[in-house]
Formats: sequence, C-alpha cells, structure tokens
Amino acid sequence: MSAAYILAKDHLKSFVRKISKGSRLIAPVTNEYGDTLYSEINCLDSTQIDTQHQPQSSIKHFFLPQQESILSYSVSQAGEYHFSNILIGVPTVFFGVRSCDLAGLLYMDVIFSNPAKDPYYFKKRENSIIISLGCNEPFENCFCNATKSGPFLDFGFDLRFTDLGDRFLVEPGRKRGMEILEEFAYFFNDASEQDLKDQYQLQLESRSSFQQNVHVDLAIKKLANEEVGKDVWQDLADRCQDCGGCAYVCPTCTCFTITDQPVSESEGERVRSWDACTFAGFTRMVGGHNPVSSEHSLRRRFLHKLKYDVSLHNRTSCTGCGRCVGICFGGVDIIKFISAVCES
Amino acid sequence: MAGLATTFGSGAMTNSISEIEQADVIIVSGSNTTEAHPQIARRIIDAVDGSAGLIVIDPRKTDISKFASVHLQIRPGTDIPLLNCIMRIILDENLVDDVFIEMRTENYVVLRDMLYRLDLDETAAETGVSLEKIRRAAKLFGRAHKGVFCYCLGITQHICGTDNVRSIANLAMLTGNVEKQDTGVDPLRGQNNVQGACDMGALPNVFPGYQGVADPTAREKFSRAWKSELSDKPGLTLLDMTHKSRENGLHAMFIMGENPMLSDPVQDKVKETFDSLEFLAVADIFLTETARCAHVVFPAASFAEKSGTFTNSERRVQHVRQAIEPIGDSRTDSEIITDLSAGMGYAMAYDNPAEIMEEIAMLTPLYGGMHHDRLNENWGLQWPCPDRNHPGTPYLHKHSFTRGKGLFQPASHQEPGEPPDEQYPFKLMTGRVYHHYHTGAMTRASHLLSRECPRALLEINPEDADRLGVRDGEYVTLSTRRGNITICTKITDRVQPGMLYTSFHFHEAPVNKLTIGSVDPTAKCPEYKICAARLERIQS
Repeated sequence: MSAAYILAKDHLKSFVRKISKGSRLIAPVTNEYGDTLYSEINCLDSTQIDTQHQPQSSIKHFFLPQQESILSYSVSQAGEYHFSNILIGVPTVFFGVRSCDLAGLLYMDVIFSNPAKDPYYFKKRENSIIISLGCNEPFENCFCNATKSGPFLDFGFDLRFTDLGDRFLVEPGRKRGMEILEEFAYFFNDASEQDLKDQYQLQLESRSSFQQNVHVDLAIKKLANEEVGKDVWQDLADRCQDCGGCAYVCPTCTCFTITDQPVSESEGERVRSWDACTFAGFTRMVGGHNPVSSEHSLRRRFLHKLKYDVSLHNRTSCTGCGRCVGICFGGVDIIKFISAVCES
Repeated sequence: MAGLATTFGSGAMTNSISEIEQADVIIVSGSNTTEAHPQIARRIIDAVDGSAGLIVIDPRKTDISKFASVHLQIRPGTDIPLLNCIMRIILDENLVDDVFIEMRTENYVVLRDMLYRLDLDETAAETGVSLEKIRRAAKLFGRAHKGVFCYCLGITQHICGTDNVRSIANLAMLTGNVEKQDTGVDPLRGQNNVQGACDMGALPNVFPGYQGVADPTAREKFSRAWKSELSDKPGLTLLDMTHKSRENGLHAMFIMGENPMLSDPVQDKVKETFDSLEFLAVADIFLTETARCAHVVFPAASFAEKSGTFTNSERRVQHVRQAIEPIGDSRTDSEIITDLSAGMGYAMAYDNPAEIMEEIAMLTPLYGGMHHDRLNENWGLQWPCPDRNHPGTPYLHKHSFTRGKGLFQPASHQEPGEPPDEQYPFKLMTGRVYHHYHTGAMTRASHLLSRECPRALLEINPEDADRLGVRDGEYVTLSTRRGNITICTKITDRVQPGMLYTSFHFHEAPVNKLTIGSVDPTAKCPEYKICAARLERIQS
C-alpha cells in the first residue's frame, strides 16, 4: 500500500502557492455569478478555491482548447511557403480535479497516442501536474460509480486529496507526486490508522449516496448484443436539438476539425477547433449528400461511448460526470439513453 | 402585439416560460418551436413527457409536431376559421368557462352569435383539416384545467395577423385560460431583446412603457424629463419608412442593429428607398447588406463588449455585463447615440448604463423598480415591477386584466393579399432555420454554424417536385410578381402539395426580394407568410 499523509486545511493555500511557483495554477473557482469553473488563479490571496461544487466544465479545454492555432504559415515574395509548428505547453498545476475529469484525461491520453503521439496535446499534458480531489458527496447528476471512474479514482493522479473535514489525506500516485511530497515534506505528517479508516468510511458513504441509479453494465451488455429497439433510436433523434452541447461539455469527446485561416495576404494559421459527431456537417459531403442521417449520428455518439470503446479499451468512454444531463435540453442525455436501453 | 393589447390590455407573453411545463394542454400555433425557440420547445417536450396534451397548428410538419397529440395541418392563412371551429365545438360541447366569461370579460354575446352562425362543415373545409380532427383538438383543449396557447410569427405575419391574435385571445377567454398561473397566451418573441425594444418605445405610437404619444399626461412627463417639446403624432411604421420614405417626406435614416435589406419584404423597394435617402447612417457589428448602402457606418460593440439589460420573451429584464473591451474602433450603442446627440446639439450625459436605467425606472411604471443593483439576483425581474420592493410579476393579469375586462373581438376569415393563381400557383412561406439568426450577419460568420447550414433550401412536396421534374438539391428559379431568385430545392413531405417554404437568412438567395409588401392593417406587420410564387427549372 502506498503511503498516505495529512495536510492541515489551514496549510492548503501555502502548499498550493509553493507547488505552483513558476507554473500556472488551475483550480475550481466559483465566480460572482455562482458558476463554478476550473479557472486560472493569478492571486491566491484574493481567490477562494472551491472544493464543494462540481465544476461546470471539465479540464478538457486546457489540453484540447476549443480553438487552437497549431501551425502558422507565411509566403515569401518569391512564393515560398514557410511553416512553423505552434507548440504551447505552459507548466501547469491542476488542483481539485474530480475523478470523472481525471478519467477523461486518461482517456484522452489514449486517444491522442494512437496511432502517433499528438504533439500539441502532449506538449500540454507533459507539462501538467494533476492533483485530484475525491468526491465525498456525489453531485446531482453524477453516476461515476456505474462507469467505474469515481468517486475516488485510484490511479492517474500525481497526488490525490481526500477531504477529511479539518484536514486533507494526501496520497501520491505517479512519480511526480512522490517528488512533490519529498520536496515539501515539511507540510505533511504521516497519516494514522484512524485517518485511513476515516477515508474508507467516507468512500463507502459516498458510494451509497448517488442520486442517480444508472445501469451502465446492463446497457453495455444490451448494446453489445444489439438488443436495442429501433424506437429508442428514433425517439432520441426526434428529441435531439442538434446543439452539440453534450459533446462540448463531455470530458472525453475529442472530435476536432481543422481549418486554415488567413491572417493577412501573406500569412495565415492552421486552427484546430472542437467538432462533434452529432453535427450534420461532420459527415456531409461537398455535394450536399450526407451518408449519415441525424438518427445515425446520434446513435454513433452513444455507441462510441458505450460499445466501441468498451471493445477497444475495455472501458466506457463515459466517465459518469453527468454534465450532458444538465446541459441537454432535448432530454436525450446519456442517463435517459441508458435507461431507455435498459427498458427496451 | 396590437391584438393582445386591445383584448387584454398588454401585449406580451402572459406566462413565465417555466409555467409552460405545468400546463395540461398546450397549443402551439405558427411556431417552429424546436428551431426558433429551442428553450421553449424543451419545456413543451417536458410537459408532454409529464402527460400534457399538445396540439400543434402548422401547415408544415415541424419537429415539434412529432410530439403532438393532434397536429392540425391547416392550409396557410386559415387560422381564423380553424380557431372559430374550435370555439364553436367548445360551445357545443358546453366546455366554456361561464363564470370567467361572466365576471372577467365583455362583448361575449357578439362572439357567441357569430359562432352560432358558423357552418362547421364549411368552415372546417376552408382549413383543409378534417372536422373530426378539429373536434378532437377542441375537446382536448376545452377540457384542460390549465391550458396554454403559444404562438409565433406564423400567426402574426399575415394580413390578418391582429385578428389571428384576437381569435387566440377569444379562445383563451372562452375557456378561462388566462389570469391564472400556468394558463395563458404566449407570443414567443424572437430576438433576445425585441420585448425590451418594444418596452422602450421602439414603436411608432408610444413612449417607453407603452405610454401613448397621444396621451397629454405622458407627453408632458417625457417633455419635462427630456427638456424638449415632443410631438403628439405617431411616427412611421416599418414599411412606411423602408418602402415609402418619399411619400412620407423622409430624408434621412439611422438604423441600428437591423438589416432591412434582407429582412424587409420587397428588397428592390428597400434598396430604392436607401438609394434615394439624402443621408443614411447604420450602426452594426458587421458590414451588413444595409450598412453597405450607408453614407456613414458606426462600428458597434457586440453583446460581450457592453453592459446594460436585455428583456426576454417572459418580460424578464436581465443585466448583462461587459466581458471584454470593445475591439478596434467599435463603441457601445449608448455611446454612439449620446455622442451623435451631443454633436447635434442635445447633450445626453450619462456616466454609465445604470444611470440610464434609473431614468427608465423613473419614467416607466412597468420598469419602476428595475435598477441594476436589483437585477443581479435571481436572473433579473419580470415586469410589471413598479417599485423598488416589488418582486416582479411571473404572470400577467392576475385576478384582472390590465384593461379591466377582457374584450372578445370576433373575427372572420380573410384571404391573403395575394392568393395563388394560374400564373403563380404556389403559396410561398418564409421562416427560419435552427442554425441561423435573422439575416445571418452574425451566424454566417461562424464556421461551424455555416457548415451546419450552408445554403438556403426551398422545401417542396414530392408530388409537386415529380410533376415539375425537379430533383432534390437542384437549383431552380423561384419567382413572384416582385422578382426572382435562384435557390436550392429540398424535396420533403414537411410541406404540403402546393406549398413552398424557405428561410430568409441568405443574401445569395434573398427571399425577401420575392415577398409581398402587404401588411396587417392594424399592426402593420408584413405578410411574410404567404405570397403567390412560381418555380421553374433552370434550362442549361
């Protein structure tokens, strides 16, 4: 068993300050409009890290920005093209990453490694330190217990924090985490037997307090065996409003498109921006024909999460964060879908 | 707006949007809700999931009609006969709310007598919907405890738009579906702030808050506040300006955030007007087709670059706050107006938008308690909100109509301004698509939205397409008595035979080159929804 340490809550701020020296710090912050977002913190003294609410968006966009210039080009007077890669990766500490978002990041690691490593993604990824935070109380639409990605994901983090009330239990994960613990050892005390028991009790309580009862395993089985009625798909297609919100908030939706955008007569940029497989334009051909109907594009999104990825990677690419449940106004979010599959 | 203002005394959505979810039966008429008001469609679908009945009245098979218990696919422009049929059946079935009619309304006898004179079979035949289907809808709505009627431009953009609205109001009053929570009549407003624009007096005959220019007390109040003599004559309506500037002695125009070159009917006439003006100034965030006609263009700031308020469909005044500094030379609308005004010798010195809001609150009873500091909580306030302590008004006409008693105003069928004939055999309707907003000035600049919907599509029924030998995706010439455009076809049974449908977002296929200049005589709203058209294949 790996070691565990205790950090007094009073020392959280100074610890975070130390480890983010020379780095960008990203942590959940609730803004004046009441929205909790993973935000860049420039001044720790005037900003409160929010460990109580679920951030409304995942950390996806820090690694795969909604719009990102990946290459610039210029044409010389002689008509010669010059290209230069734009690789950006600022050293960044992510604090308070929820299990679902961490699971999403681990999934993106897989996606952006195959067939070759995506340099734009990994430049950012390799410059990041991930400090996760276990969820003592699942939020309204969470079902990470059913996707086996939370509420306390046991791997993938550099450090994992568990909120034990007046103190944090801190566990190292990857090598960088251990190094941080060694470098800043003076912040920590060894965790006692009781601390570990408290953590165990918290985890048990958290697992039993999910408000959503989602039968992911059953749905996976039925989808694998193609036991899903046609009416399920048709009903989804009728309700989907084609807004793409589900894909945008999803921690594992990574479809993108590439456009070349001229900046001036002789210069321009290649931009990578988010796309979604539910959009008609994702598959429509130049002549106007679309080989994939709206019913099928929606079908593909759900099958990708719950069938194809299961056969490829042995796990769903839904991390149970429940964000699409909150954002979907057609009522075709993944929980409704899974329920419909189970009932069909 | 005129329709509701004369029946109820107030021309706005009577409900809050969230109340729609609580209704037993919802009628949606002339509204492509999932595409034009997706957030309202969501409430309607939720209500249907919770076992509410849904009646959709639309000539087209819209997406929302898939959720309907009854879809009344009427012939375009036959809303009044349909509503009269429904009311007559409700009367015959004794589903009228006698107590409500007695206590809360007036002029009922006139409506009743008109309905009794109606020949049901004949009237139903006019609509093209079977009487049996209408009967089902009528009974469903008549028996509802909480009935909501949502309508949109498919009702108002007709030559009989005001009478259409009055008929809807008649039905709501007949069944007692106003003045109570979760019941009401809801015109769905299109733009984020079209309600606010009306509230602020962007109408020919009123000052802010619907205080008539003809009312000496109101005029006196505004004259004192603005320290200048104000006219008691109503201004010009839209088409009186963009079609008939010369007749009306108009020499100069200042257009803000509007693109009449694409959005007003009969484009050629609009162009002629703009060309003939001595001076045209346009303020917009992009160089629109209208801005290209202008002598002076003011680059305006976008929503993210300014602070102020927007008033949405449910009369909710919401505070928006500047997120970024204005880019380039762009300036906020209020800066443009106040500087222009100062340059013309009338100083308008406001430190910030909150100060303007204070003036609005002082002069406009509906907004009396709306101050910026109050709007930051709970997503703003719904008018009427007469004073600082007032919590706002979720639904209108509680216990009593604004005008006192609701006024029944019976109406009968009116032919469209230009019915189809041998030369122009199709009825052409216009509307919107999900991915684009109005004339596309903003949405067509978005790569993704443009990709989702790259071109205007003319919907045509397979029967008509077969007869004319038109293939799906073929470019055809669409013409009316006003002109012609080239447009791509989409063969679909969403439209009935004899009908054509397209949207007005695309400057390459400007359908408003074709639409007719006739207007509703009361509201002066153009008849965008029907004109006679002809379709021809392009000979290569």
